[in-house]
Amino acid sequence: MTRRDPAALGFADLVAGVVGSSNCIRDPAALTTYACDGLTNSRVSPALVALPGSTAEVAEVVRLASLAGIPIVPRGSGTGLSGGARPVPGCLVLGLSRMRRILEVDLENGRMRVEPGVINLEVSERVGPSGWYYAPDPSSQSVCTIGGNVAENSGGAHCLKYGFTTHHVLGATLVLDGGEVVELGGPALDAPGYDLLAALVGSEGLLGVVTEVWLRLLRKPEATRTFLAVFPSTDEAGAAVSGIIAAGILPAAIEMMDRLAIAAAKAATGLDWPDTGALLLMDVDGPAAEAEHTAARAVAIAQAAGASEVRRPRDDAERLLMWKGRKSAFAAVGRISPNYLVEDGVIPRSEISRVLREVAALAAAQGLRVANVFHAGDGNLHPLVLYDASVPGELARAEHLGGEILRLCIRSGGSITGEHGVGAEKAAYMALQFGEEDLATMAAVRCAFDPLARFNPGKVFPTPRLCGDRPGPYHPHPAEAAGLIERV
Amino acid sequence: MISHPATDSIPAPRGPTLPAPSPEPPRHLPATLAEAAAVLRETAARREPLAFQGGGTDLGLGAPGAPCAVLETTRLARVVEYAPSDQVVVAEAGLRLADLQRLLAREGQRLALDPPLPERATLGGILSAGAFGPLRTRYGAPRDLVLGIAVVRADGAVVRGGGKVVKNVAGFDLPRLFSGALGTLGLVAELCFRVHPLPETSATVLLRGLDAAGAWRVTRSLRDAQLEPAAVAALREAGPFELGIRFEGFEAGVSAQARRALELAGSGAATLLEPAPAAAFWERHDTLRRAGALRLKLTSLPASLGQVDDGPLTALRRALADGVTVWYPALGLGFAGGEPLDGAAAAVARARAELAKLGGALTVCAAPPFLRAGLDPWGPPPPALTVMRRLKDRLDPDRRLAPGRFVGGL
Repeated sequence: MTRRDPAALGFADLVAGVVGSSNCIRDPAALTTYACDGLTNSRVSPALVALPGSTAEVAEVVRLASLAGIPIVPRGSGTGLSGGARPVPGCLVLGLSRMRRILEVDLENGRMRVEPGVINLEVSERVGPSGWYYAPDPSSQSVCTIGGNVAENSGGAHCLKYGFTTHHVLGATLVLDGGEVVELGGPALDAPGYDLLAALVGSEGLLGVVTEVWLRLLRKPEATRTFLAVFPSTDEAGAAVSGIIAAGILPAAIEMMDRLAIAAAKAATGLDWPDTGALLLMDVDGPAAEAEHTAARAVAIAQAAGASEVRRPRDDAERLLMWKGRKSAFAAVGRISPNYLVEDGVIPRSEISRVLREVAALAAAQGLRVANVFHAGDGNLHPLVLYDASVPGELARAEHLGGEILRLCIRSGGSITGEHGVGAEKAAYMALQFGEEDLATMAAVRCAFDPLARFNPGKVFPTPRLCGDRPGPYHPHPAEAAGLIERV
Repeated sequence: MISHPATDSIPAPRGPTLPAPSPEPPRHLPATLAEAAAVLRETAARREPLAFQGGGTDLGLGAPGAPCAVLETTRLARVVEYAPSDQVVVAEAGLRLADLQRLLAREGQRLALDPPLPERATLGGILSAGAFGPLRTRYGAPRDLVLGIAVVRADGAVVRGGGKVVKNVAGFDLPRLFSGALGTLGLVAELCFRVHPLPETSATVLLRGLDAAGAWRVTRSLRDAQLEPAAVAALREAGPFELGIRFEGFEAGVSAQARRALELAGSGAATLLEPAPAAAFWERHDTLRRAGALRLKLTSLPASLGQVDDGPLTALRRALADGVTVWYPALGLGFAGGEPLDGAAAAVARARAELAKLGGALTVCAAPPFLRAGLDPWGPPPPALTVMRRLKDRLDPDRRLAPGRFVGGL
């Protein structure tokens, strides 16, 4: 929707006065670039896009939008897969891609201060020569921004050992509705007060606009041992994962691919992987002696679980190629299907084999194919639902199947999203995973930061909420009052 | 985890004696989540102040509020769910850490948290107080290991945040937000934690006779050598610092890392402790963490340990008899404790101001009653206090949960 009334035009002039005309996009054709993020099945053009260059400019643009009552949708590189940066009609998109300076590198204390538009991989590249890196490594790390990572609490393949963005952010500068600038966290750990930084990371742009971030950096491990294990099916591969974890090994990453995902990765990269039912790609890292020992044990466990072949990369180049095969798997699926949906459900690790069989059965019932490529170590599935948009009704069936898979994850004791976020796409499913009061409590957190719901409306919460409504007095169900049931 | 003078087990004060306690406010001991919710609902209807208490190991944290009714979680001590193969455990808030560890150890696992007094400290109290021990070096604080919580809100509603899987970004991170909140946002009634395998073996390397700058240099050299210690702690009593470095894991990795640490420390300066002396060192650490009637937590940036010792720690030592320091150099924070002498309050204020210049803060963990009333427990209000106030007002609009105990009078 690109309707522009005179008032909106006046607003655009004011914004252009802050960020400069060349950084204020009003041309309807140019605005369509911002109509969606990495989830392209639904598009809404914003009324205006501003590309500020500093915290002061962000604060001033936010202040103007607050005065004008215009909703704000923050945006990084737009690689998100849940519609988290999808505009709402009449909104201002605040694109942070120009704010891409590394402001301070403090290796003595293992930290770096960056602007939100800095690309994830640039952080590691900057300090790599000194032997340091930034741990969260989403597959999109060569294009996604730190600001987007903070919004989504991004993970990646190696978060099994190293944790998510929330474990690697030490502080942030946040612009609130009205343009107030606040500092969260601090140079030192354990800043007194509520851990608002914890609420901010993963809040999907609903609390404000992050304009600076202190990141925690890590020394690179002394050694990394990688291997690729070939299995007849995901059952044996799943058993190997369970066995490795049960042996007390904490790998840096364990990734699983099923037959269809392997075929797609081979088609896209030319890798000489076998055509087989499942592959496990695993990294163990740490001090050399520890990594050697755990890798040898993990290989033995994989073989005992039924691995027909175990490949080790001869050199770093080959290792990177193996990982490229894994990280490009989403895009590679485009080689074997005209269209696909990516899901991001999480299940308890021990349920992998059972859930994958159920996913296959659900897919068969819809007459669709599902490729699986996922983080097996933490049970974070990425079912890729393949469909052909040119076949009438197939998209609807694919979306239905995606929803069935998310329901299956919830029933299995898991979550609808492990790292892609709820965004616009999965907001409706929040009401399946959480109860009404759970959501009301999360909404109370939002209201503490952003009482007028200025930022990123329509995301995360299944129904719009007004901050004027305090959670009403709680009335227990009669059976609960009688001690017959518990709300657990 | 709440303040309640009548049961506060602080050693006898050196100053004037307290007035006789007034009639004791009610204590609630719910045995189920539903009973706990009923206590919250009933006290909400009467707008009655209420505080929460677990094992009572961190009662000195925060401002001493007026005596009020207390909900004790000690009867809420069931293990709700334990899935060893998924490495998660769900338990009620009143479960003692040591009891949980015994259960997990049967499956070769542990919760990688080692705050003082595990036989008393409860899971809910540990999360609410942000309590930790030396393992934080490797595994993080309680907020880094909690996956989900059930909370009873001030109005009695039972709400859940997070989940039971290691990876989950659905909704706001309530488990972390409630960490360290001292029960001022609601009762943490049930918790889900990620657990880890028990290490096959461990080894402790001890360095003696270090000054603060030296303790930092050794810690940094471990990092530069890409070693992964599970715990690094510097202890100081009357003499110089002793630095304990513990490696955990499989035998091959542990022995190689311990050898490397000995090399880095230089000949003669370091020893690899036998199991019994190693255990004794870490037990002494636990004792020193609890030593003294006045105990303070100091934070800074890791590399400024030398400056912290020259300034704030030296000022505090002069104001404390039998003063001790426990510092975690890889984290940039630690504790100072001792018996307060004249001028202790002024020394605390001065140390706080100097830490602020280094990017850190000082909080009071425990103080004798005569001193506590006059000490600012938290220091200057944090920059985002307005947001914190709004959060408190949203979740506890009558401000009746542990009133006044938290930062900024929340």
